Amino acid sequence: MGTISLEKRDSLYWLGRYTERVYTTLNIFNKCYDRMLDSDENDYKNLCCRLDIPNIYQSHDDFIHRFLFDQTNPDSVITSLNRSYDNGIMLRDEISSETLAYLLMALDIYKASVHSDVQPMALIPVTDYLLAFWGSLDDYIYDHRCRNIIKVGRYVERLDLYYRCSFDQQDIDLTLHKLKYHLGESGLHYDQGIFDTIFAISKDKSLQTEGWHRRCAIKLLGLIAA
Amino acid sequence: MKEIIAGSDNINMLLARYGVKFGIYKNGEFHEQLFPYDPIPRIISAEDFAYLERGLAQRVDALNRFLADVYGAKHIIKDGVVPESFVFSSSGYLPECEGISPPADIYSHISGIDLVQAKDGTWYVLEDNLRIPSGASYPLIARELTRRANPRLFREHAIRDNRDYAALLKATMDNVNLGGINVILTPGRYNAAFFEHSYLAEKTGSVLAMPNDLFVQDCKLYYRDDRGSSRRVGAVYRRLSDEFLDPCSFRADSLIGVPNLMAAYRAGNIAILNAPGNGVADDKGIYYFVPKMIRYYLNEEPILNNAPTYLPMYEEDKTTVLDNIEKLVIKDVAEAGGYGVVFGSKMTPEEREDWRKRILREPRRFIAQEVIDFLDLDIMDAGKPVPRKADLRAFVLTGEKTTVWASGLTRFSRNPDSFIVNSSQGGGFKDTWVLSR
Repeated sequence: MGTISLEKRDSLYWLGRYTERVYTTLNIFNKCYDRMLDSDENDYKNLCCRLDIPNIYQSHDDFIHRFLFDQTNPDSVITSLNRSYDNGIMLRDEISSETLAYLLMALDIYKASVHSDVQPMALIPVTDYLLAFWGSLDDYIYDHRCRNIIKVGRYVERLDLYYRCSFDQQDIDLTLHKLKYHLGESGLHYDQGIFDTIFAISKDKSLQTEGWHRRCAIKLLGLIAA
Repeated sequence: MKEIIAGSDNINMLLARYGVKFGIYKNGEFHEQLFPYDPIPRIISAEDFAYLERGLAQRVDALNRFLADVYGAKHIIKDGVVPESFVFSSSGYLPECEGISPPADIYSHISGIDLVQAKDGTWYVLEDNLRIPSGASYPLIARELTRRANPRLFREHAIRDNRDYAALLKATMDNVNLGGINVILTPGRYNAAFFEHSYLAEKTGSVLAMPNDLFVQDCKLYYRDDRGSSRRVGAVYRRLSDEFLDPCSFRADSLIGVPNLMAAYRAGNIAILNAPGNGVADDKGIYYFVPKMIRYYLNEEPILNNAPTYLPMYEEDKTTVLDNIEKLVIKDVAEAGGYGVVFGSKMTPEEREDWRKRILREPRRFIAQEVIDFLDLDIMDAGKPVPRKADLRAFVLTGEKTTVWASGLTRFSRNPDSFIVNSSQGGGFKDTWVLSR
């Protein structure tokens, strides 16, 4: 096909972002869940702060339920998965029915897990399906640009969450390199200056003054031109 | 058959996996739901299909000739075969299409003809759908999945493969393509048939386009890309109604149309599948005249039967309808999707009287048909087979020649007391197996 409309380009990019948001947020949630079990049951407040989302939760139990499953909460993981599906459904002809199916299965199992007694455990297959989605995408999307736009969305989102949650340097480095490659292949307009600044700060310890993670996350917001 | 019934949970799971859904509006809200699938297929013998194939191709060829005539020389009107008032008062007649010759003179490229089989085995055509008939994607994907779930059945029985629909559709588009890409134009995600639009785009290798993706320049249609360049479109399989197609020609308030598309069409620079204005030929009132069209244009006797139909605009028919309303089904010619269909047998005496008055007031608006006691097909209900009313939508594709797809959408009513099979009213679907010997 080789021709992507503006609307499709946006859907591809946001498909990547929302799908990754679900995957990485679940990983982050699991770490927070551990800390709430082991040391600080109010650790979710710290997470809300890092993610720049309002702390609307009454307790850690309320957080667990509403952050994961409340479809009326714009910051919940289920809302992100719904948005991922909303973008994916518009792209069947580009990403293939096979790839879309993994997103659908993730969504179905996510919705079903709300009834589980052990919700965080019931969500494990969701991450399995999301990994399968990424694998399928490599196999079934023939259009090089399409594939790369989705991956730009994926790695922008991952980097944003890694910065916000102060992931290890190694994780950030790897993601930056992947993002750099896919930006080059995607044909998307982006701000090279912002990328260079983030890249430099992330690589050079002398530039990593207090709060650098957060500053990088905020800079990253302006990377892709509207 | 036990095998296929046993595998039905797997099929339903796979249909959910691939998002085989249709959209429905309830109380102003959009909901996506799975199209209920029944594992017991409708089976059509090779002999029956050969008969249907001849009859359907004949019917669609005549309807295409009618459309060319109505928007051209109008011989059929001049010769008094179809009354002028009937054609020009039809809501499907579009004066904007007068004098336009579509590529290859084909108006109805994809026709969906609704049939039922009576208990004596006779097939009747209930409706011709020549605008944007939907539904082919459901048996297409169901077959794909059934083959995976029950391979032995397909090895041991001579069932014609229906997985050529996408190739047929692509050939139909290519046949009239005037140079450029093939596009499937969808009004968007919240259209009831969006699954079908996107699935057919994937399978035919066409570009799925939203109205904003297309524009007309110098009377040519283009697909706009995200970097400001554009590609010429040679054929557009539009999946939105005529009135919304072009705000410069039809409804000015349409936000889902492509401005000046009709100008490009009129200039002969774009093929539109199906052609705008086809509604004049699938009007429930014009249906009455299809056998006459076959005789007029093809000089042949109709192979397929119409359901016995009365037009209250004719005095004799009006008397019959008013005297026998309790035995007839009344249809509003302006409605579709199973709406505007009322059975006289279910009316109270007061309602019958009211309907008599409505028919007298607007005789052109209604037709009346004898109720065909059509063959029930078994469906699975709570693990048991139960008989239900079912119809068949046959898909006829007109390209270089007219081809009847060796399958079709069998829709059934889930309500034991209902003849209405439409998905929008709770109906389900079955695959349709055509035997090769």
